[in-house]
This record gives sequence, C-alpha cells and structure tokens, in this order.
Amino acid sequence: MNEAEELRLRPFMSANEGWGRASGREVYGALVEFVESRAGKVIFRISLSGVKRVDVSFASETIVELARRYRGQKGFCFMDLEDKDMEENWAAAAERSKQPLMNWAGGRSRILGPQPSQGVADAFHFALAKGPTRAADYAASVKEMSITNASTKFKQLWDGGFLLRRERAAESGGVEFVYVPIR
Amino acid sequence: MTDAIVRLLSLFNQLDCCTRRVILDFESKESDLLGYLNRIGFFDNLAPNVEVLPSRPEISGAKLHRGRNRGVVEIARINKNARDQNLPGRLTRAIESACANRSDASELTGAAWTIFAELIGNVFDHSDTPIDGLAALQVYPKGNCLKVAVSDSGRGLLDTLRPSLKTEHPRLAQLSDMELLVQVFRQGISRHGSNRGCGLKSSAEKAIKFRAELDVRLPYVRVLLVPGKQGYAPNTAFCYRDLPLIWGTHLCFTFELD
Repeated sequence: MNEAEELRLRPFMSANEGWGRASGREVYGALVEFVESRAGKVIFRISLSGVKRVDVSFASETIVELARRYRGQKGFCFMDLEDKDMEENWAAAAERSKQPLMNWAGGRSRILGPQPSQGVADAFHFALAKGPTRAADYAASVKEMSITNASTKFKQLWDGGFLLRRERAAESGGVEFVYVPIR
Repeated sequence: MTDAIVRLLSLFNQLDCCTRRVILDFESKESDLLGYLNRIGFFDNLAPNVEVLPSRPEISGAKLHRGRNRGVVEIARINKNARDQNLPGRLTRAIESACANRSDASELTGAAWTIFAELIGNVFDHSDTPIDGLAALQVYPKGNCLKVAVSDSGRGLLDTLRPSLKTEHPRLAQLSDMELLVQVFRQGISRHGSNRGCGLKSSAEKAIKFRAELDVRLPYVRVLLVPGKQGYAPNTAFCYRDLPLIWGTHLCFTFELD
C-alpha cells in the first residue's frame, strides 16, 4: 500500500502569500480535515507550488502545528522548498515549536528546526541512508553497539519527531519496530 | 524621516480620537512641508476632523505621483477591522522595483516582506489599537537606505507583555524596559507561552543580516537598537525615557545598504 501522499498547501490558502496567526489557524483546520480524510496515509509530502511566501507565524500555525499534532504517527516533509528566505521562516517556526521537519528539495536532505542531539545523530543518518531499518541493523553496523542501545537511540529519534516507526512481527516471534525516515 | 512622520500621524489621529481639537498650520511660506506630506500620502491617512491651514490639499499627491518619485515612499493604513491579505505584498512590491538592480534584491525583499507580515500581524493579534495602524516604507533616492515602519495606537508592546512575565517568564520580570525589549527581539518572548513570540525575533534576525537599526517608540519610552557582533544587545542600545505620551508600538527598521 502506498503510505505517502502529496499535500499541496496553496489550495488551502486564500492568497499566494500566507501571513499572521489568524489566517494560519483557518488553514490549519482545513489541513487537519484533509489529513483525517486520508486514514491510511502516514507520510505527507508538502508541495509549496504556487505559494510565494509565508511568514513565521503562519508557518507555525499550519504545517509545523500539523506535524506536532501527529508526531510519532504521521510525518510531514517538504519536497520543493528551494527558496532560502522561505526555508529560514519554516525553520524558525519549526525551531520554536521544537518540531523537526525534513526538506528534500533538490535531492538533498536538510532538517529544519531542532537537530538530533550528538548522541543520536549517527543513528539518524544511518536511518536516512538505509530507509526502513531496525535497531538490530544499526547495532550490527556499529562496533560495540548493543541492540538495546541502538533501540534507545531510535526511540529517542521517534519521540523527537525525526523518524516514524511501525510494528511488525519479528522472526523470533514477538514484535519489533521498523524505523522509517520521513520522505 | 518617514518613521517620524508616521509617529506624528499616529499622534494626531490619537488626539483626534480623544476628541482633542488638532490644527496643523502650514501657513509659513518658506516651507514646502505641506507639499511633501501630500506627496507621501500623509493627508490620505490623517483623521478627517484634523484641521489643516491654510487648507487640506484637494488632490492627493501620493495618488497622483505614485511611482514617479525618485525615492519611494509609501504610507498604508492597516484597517484594524478587515485584514487586507495583500498589504505586505503590495508594500514590498515598491521595494522590489526600487531595488531591482541590487544583487541582494531578492533577499532584501524577502526580509522586508517578513518584517511587514509579522509586524502587521501583531497589530491584529496584540495591539488592542482603537484606531487603524499604519505601515510605511521609504527607499532613499540613491537606493542606499531603506526604512520599514509599522505603527499602532494600542497599549504598547511592553504594557501587554509585562503582566504575563511573572507567570510565563519570571526571570525577565525584573528587567528594565530597554533590557526587556532587547530580549523580546533576541529570544522572542510572548505572553502566550514559550512556543510563541517568534515573529519579532525572526524579523530582527532578518534585519540584522543587513545590519539594520531598530527604533522602537512606546508610550513613554524610545529604544534604539544598534546591531553589534552579537546582534541586538543591551550594551549597544540607547534608551530615552520620560518622553511625551504617544500610545502604541511604533517600530522602524533602517537598512543602511552598500
């Protein structure tokens, strides 16, 4: 099943420039409805096509708040956020709300907002490079890394909104988590 | 100069709102101030009851000359009852055309737009202004200076912020007006909690990239923030206290451009 869907922001806005908390809140309500109506979708790829500019207040009240609301369950990332000035505004909003957002524009990955702490940064980059991955995979790739330690790092990344995770049956019986980059 | 004119305009409109009789006398023949004010839209935004001597200009010079001045000056009313979604964009377009030859035109325009958007948004969200606010911009004829100003006639930024400090930010409650203002623009402080207040902080960060000074006039205080190596800081700020009352928050960023 395809778990990702494009979310174009412009149709939710009344003009191509979004500013102010009040107009952000209006857009947010409609965005939540959209997300709720796509029950099976886990990752929403935000397209800013047609959006000229947004200020930090508007950014805070819309996509950043959406990502915060669904943290751990659904992920939101940008695919075409090229403009440096706008990237700064989205990053400032994400930083303020302590909600990281990935930007994949131009085929490069950048984290807008809070960065993973030094202790888990390596695990995060491993997950980005590998795609869906398990703590056991990461533990096996790093010298003297226990599965428990790797598991703790991935859980921190999931709690922090950097990765998503899903459960699946482990070969040994039980349940294991597969951690997924937000892309 | 536009920032001073906008503050005066706010003051005259405030006095008029308080039912004071205001007369502006331009009868001295040695000055063309009336002509200048007319060209920049002063009278378009002046309360109708304010008396102008010898008389109000019959035709708005701002509407007549718009786009034909060497320097660009725009004063726009912020209608407190109806958000004009296009206002920041309209103001910024004037900068776009005036600074089109600069290599950093796009960054400059983006910074000015964000500042207008955040500051005008604050007029709606926080000011409690009883009369319309004003937004203004000025690009000097040589293109080497840009002023971006927003004014309201509400309670003033610190008066709306201070009551919440004891509960939201107790460590800041003892700061002087100047120190607190510096923190507002450095950290972003809001009466609505720690995940708010990013608008002023982000505006300041955009402006600091261009080494812009920030002039803040509050009801009895004026603070001038000059960017140093650490951005806006108390040791590079100037504070003028016990000034005559002008209600509201009047902010002006001055970009000194190369």
